[in-house]
Amino acid sequence: MQHELFPWLILFLPLLAAAAITLFTLRSRALSAFLSIGAIVTGFILSVIFINANGWHFSAEISRTWLSIGSLQIDWGLKLDALSMMMLLVVTGVGGAIHVYSVGYMHEDSGFARFFACLSLFTFSMLGIVLANNFIELFICWELVGVSSYLLIGFWFERPSAGDAAKKAFIVNRLGDFGFLLGILTVWGLLGTLNFSDLHGQLTANPAALGLSATVAGLLVFCGAVGKSAQFPLHVWLPDAMEGPTPVSALIHAATMVAAGVYMLCRIFFLLNPEALHVIAYIGGFTSLLAALIAVQQDDIKRIIAYSTLSQLGYMVMAVGLSGPTAAMFHLTTHAFFKALLFLSAGSVIIALHHEQNIWKMGKLRYKMPITFWTFLVGALALSGVWPFAGFYSKDSILAQALAQHDYILFADGALVAGLTTFYIFRLFFVVFLGKEKSDGASHAHESPAVMTLPLVVLAVFSLIGGFIGIEGVYSGMFVGESGISTGFAAAIFEPFIHSPLAASLGLCLVAIGFFAALSLYAKADKDPLPEKLGGLATAMKNKFYFDEFYEAVFVRAHDFIAAVMNWIDRWLVEGFCIGLIRGGTDLTGRALRLVQTGNLQTYAFFFVLGVAVVLWLVLK
Amino acid sequence: MSILTYIFGWPLVAALALVFVPGNYRVVVRAVAVLATLISAALAVKMFCQFVPGANGYQFEQQIPWVDSLGISYHVGVDGLNVGLILMGAIVAFAAACCSWEIQTREKEFYILLLLMSGGILGAFASLDLFFFYFLHELALVPTFIMIGVWGRGERRNYATFQITIYLSIGALLALIGLIALYLQSGANTFDIPALIEHAKTNPMTVHAQNFIFPLLLFGFGILVSLWPFHSWAPLGYGSAPSPTAMIHAGILKKFGLYGLIRIALPLMPQAAHHWMNFVAWLCLGNILYVGWVAMRQRDLNLLIGNSSVAHMGFIFLGIASLNLIGVTGAVFIMVAHGFLAALTFALSGYIYQKTGTLQMSELGGLCRKLRFIGTALLMAAMAGCGLPGFANFVGEVTVFFGAWKEFPVVVVLAVWGGLVIGGIYMTRAVRTILHGPLPAKFSNLADATNSWRRLPYALLLAALFVFGCFPRLLTSQIEPDAGKIVSMANPLPSMTALSEAQNPKSDTRN
Repeated sequence: MQHELFPWLILFLPLLAAAAITLFTLRSRALSAFLSIGAIVTGFILSVIFINANGWHFSAEISRTWLSIGSLQIDWGLKLDALSMMMLLVVTGVGGAIHVYSVGYMHEDSGFARFFACLSLFTFSMLGIVLANNFIELFICWELVGVSSYLLIGFWFERPSAGDAAKKAFIVNRLGDFGFLLGILTVWGLLGTLNFSDLHGQLTANPAALGLSATVAGLLVFCGAVGKSAQFPLHVWLPDAMEGPTPVSALIHAATMVAAGVYMLCRIFFLLNPEALHVIAYIGGFTSLLAALIAVQQDDIKRIIAYSTLSQLGYMVMAVGLSGPTAAMFHLTTHAFFKALLFLSAGSVIIALHHEQNIWKMGKLRYKMPITFWTFLVGALALSGVWPFAGFYSKDSILAQALAQHDYILFADGALVAGLTTFYIFRLFFVVFLGKEKSDGASHAHESPAVMTLPLVVLAVFSLIGGFIGIEGVYSGMFVGESGISTGFAAAIFEPFIHSPLAASLGLCLVAIGFFAALSLYAKADKDPLPEKLGGLATAMKNKFYFDEFYEAVFVRAHDFIAAVMNWIDRWLVEGFCIGLIRGGTDLTGRALRLVQTGNLQTYAFFFVLGVAVVLWLVLK
Repeated sequence: MSILTYIFGWPLVAALALVFVPGNYRVVVRAVAVLATLISAALAVKMFCQFVPGANGYQFEQQIPWVDSLGISYHVGVDGLNVGLILMGAIVAFAAACCSWEIQTREKEFYILLLLMSGGILGAFASLDLFFFYFLHELALVPTFIMIGVWGRGERRNYATFQITIYLSIGALLALIGLIALYLQSGANTFDIPALIEHAKTNPMTVHAQNFIFPLLLFGFGILVSLWPFHSWAPLGYGSAPSPTAMIHAGILKKFGLYGLIRIALPLMPQAAHHWMNFVAWLCLGNILYVGWVAMRQRDLNLLIGNSSVAHMGFIFLGIASLNLIGVTGAVFIMVAHGFLAALTFALSGYIYQKTGTLQMSELGGLCRKLRFIGTALLMAAMAGCGLPGFANFVGEVTVFFGAWKEFPVVVVLAVWGGLVIGGIYMTRAVRTILHGPLPAKFSNLADATNSWRRLPYALLLAALFVFGCFPRLLTSQIEPDAGKIVSMANPLPSMTALSEAQNPKSDTRN
């Protein structure tokens, strides 16, 4: 391995930047931004050099002991293979673009330096997840991305809604982590190691090593992914997380952190047995449908995209469950490009309209914000899966995987979601960029500065070409064990139609249906015509199928109720009883003894004689 | 003289010296107290760095015979079990002395008591003789009651003083009875802990005697540590105590009972320990789950912190109950980590109380806007309190989970729920109500801790949490060998089988 030091630098530079900003440069905006951006861009450059020097088909592990107590051995290690190296590029590349964009977006904010410190902390933790070579290191970084997400969602902490959203995200994630940690404990208890390579080795040598607990262990670990990747039933935190600044939504709640669950599943794919995979596939499929339906009736520009993220994450999880980690990682990568692009374009719109997020107060931004318009269009086409945009290839590979596994329910589900996706994203597109100006703000909007539009253009390029530049080949070499599909560039563009013509053509058909439905309903609409047509269903969709209310009633109230009971017991029984007993007992003894102390000499004399009599009796007995 | 004598001697000598300083020399009084604890802390750091992990026997040992007829001697020394505790204790004592600027009345008396507390408890940790072990702890314990009664705050402080005095006195009394019974039953005619342990190796106590003495120590020490259901003194007591007192008591004194259990009860009474530890494993859920829920209901920041501190004790008991190397090492690790954390949180809540005049969470809000430094530190403390990696508590808790997993899987499942979910809920709720949200108008003139002298205690405690959280081997490599010795004494049978396995490699084919 060449440049052995580079991965360490890539990992720890952002942490150093975060520490330096927090400790020293909070007062200097420029220096803080420079440190943070410098760290991640250096990371990107070093990653490129490292991969060039070592090639994609290379696998290595470097580690140092972090904790060692008896049989508990935990390393701090770096696992370098195609999976982690591609993710390095995605995190530092997409992340770098978003860092640069943030300079423009956060320009007027008083917490500018704090923002970059949190961003760098996040980058470090995310890179830690990517590079981790064992479960505990992964869990540590997993928790750290959780806390950076918490800090950034609550970045505008004066707003009560931001504080609430941050709290909710943290707690819901903790629910998932509860299962995750138990899964880790189960695996360690049965196999005695936490290192991924060792675990893989043991399970290859003896596939039944986990015995009857295999399904349970797999599903417990999956719980972590359910929380982090916001899968049903823990999906409720992600839309609220949009309270954070838009670059954060793009980086953490679209491109990287929420995808960490999918990445983790691919990393430990060897641990999942068919039963566990089956559950995973259906949870993913259900989430993708549920979120797509909700997205159809949202009015907040960021929330629509957030539900879209949920839906796409559902796709990825479904792909893992269909034994297609290659397809999942491929979609994760292209999704990182186009979803970051969509969010950043939305952010550009939001800034232009002075923090207006309701799509029904926008409109006709096409000519005022041409760059944002075109880049958003590229993102929307990629998300919908229109050939030859990146999303087409990755989505197609997931649908093809469903067909290959003969799971026609999930295939139908995936195809339907593809149609819905096109419908809601073009609903957003038509209402925001075309039609009439629906507010004053919309008529006075103007294009964002270059520091914001440049990252948009870069991401748009990758959203366009990401499907056929060989990303899938890198991953497939990793999982299937064969060297990557080495088709030529031109052949790669048409590859899906040859590989699985049914999936590709059906997918495109539904995209077309979705597009024309959106066109006919929303091209000139001033208000949403759908509620009248759908009635109660639209209301349910708008209210996110009442999951928040349901959880509030069940989970939160239950915990509060138990807490109230415990508090009552504590106050009146434990404290009252114990103290009461001691106090009462002492008091009673005192009163009893007081009766003896009458002050009457005759009584004393009587007791004295009585005492002497007892002593005499005892002695003479 | 051993460096240990200086570590706990400096605060005690300073306390004595302060008696002769006139009470109105406020600066001198404070300077003497801060300086004495600073020297003590510096010496403790030096001792910690010079400590050789895994060396045979005790280090920095010193023994001076005192009452030969009873076998009492002045005997101090450290091994892996108490080296971290002494370091933590000395640093926390220094931080508490720094934070005592909030005391405005009868300062001289306050500092004398504070120094007695610090010196006493550090001495108790350093002692290897039962007599001094117990006596020095009492020396530290009694000032707590006086300090809460005289300098305490809130309406319920008299009740709190009453309750804490009763509970802790009973706990200490039970432990005393247990220790005396232990002395009599062992037949070694010595108060010397190493000698008692040596003696027990050849002449173990009868199971009958163990079953009688062990519960005395378990519940006596348990009450001192706020083992459920004997915990209700702690939140109320800490809620009413002046913050330096709460820092030292919650941070250091509370670890005495746990240390006593590990140091004395486990190796001397292995059979009884095995018998009782199954029970303790379930009791600790009372701390983790039940008190965690109680913490969720609190409306006063100090009561919340107090309850959360009680809840954390549950993890330590769980680690001890697992009676294996990983669990006990984890337990000792949390003892150190929690000491720093408890001191930090009480120091911060003390600052907020000093500035706002209230700790009712409904009246606070948005403090992060004005109190940048204090708010950030409180956020970090809350995160450390719900087990965020990077802080020392995470390492300890995870280690305990791993240690107890094979012995008590069901308990661990519930404990993980308590640690990750319930802890997460009450900590983020506290952050949400105190630090986030809009700032009430009456707090628009709050002053943050700006100068570095004021920031020092908080920064020091945070740094300690970070250092041991990021580089846990600094501590575990010291704890592990001696925890191993305790565990092998507490598990006479398994270690024998391990020995025979090592001698007979054929039996090692099960892997």
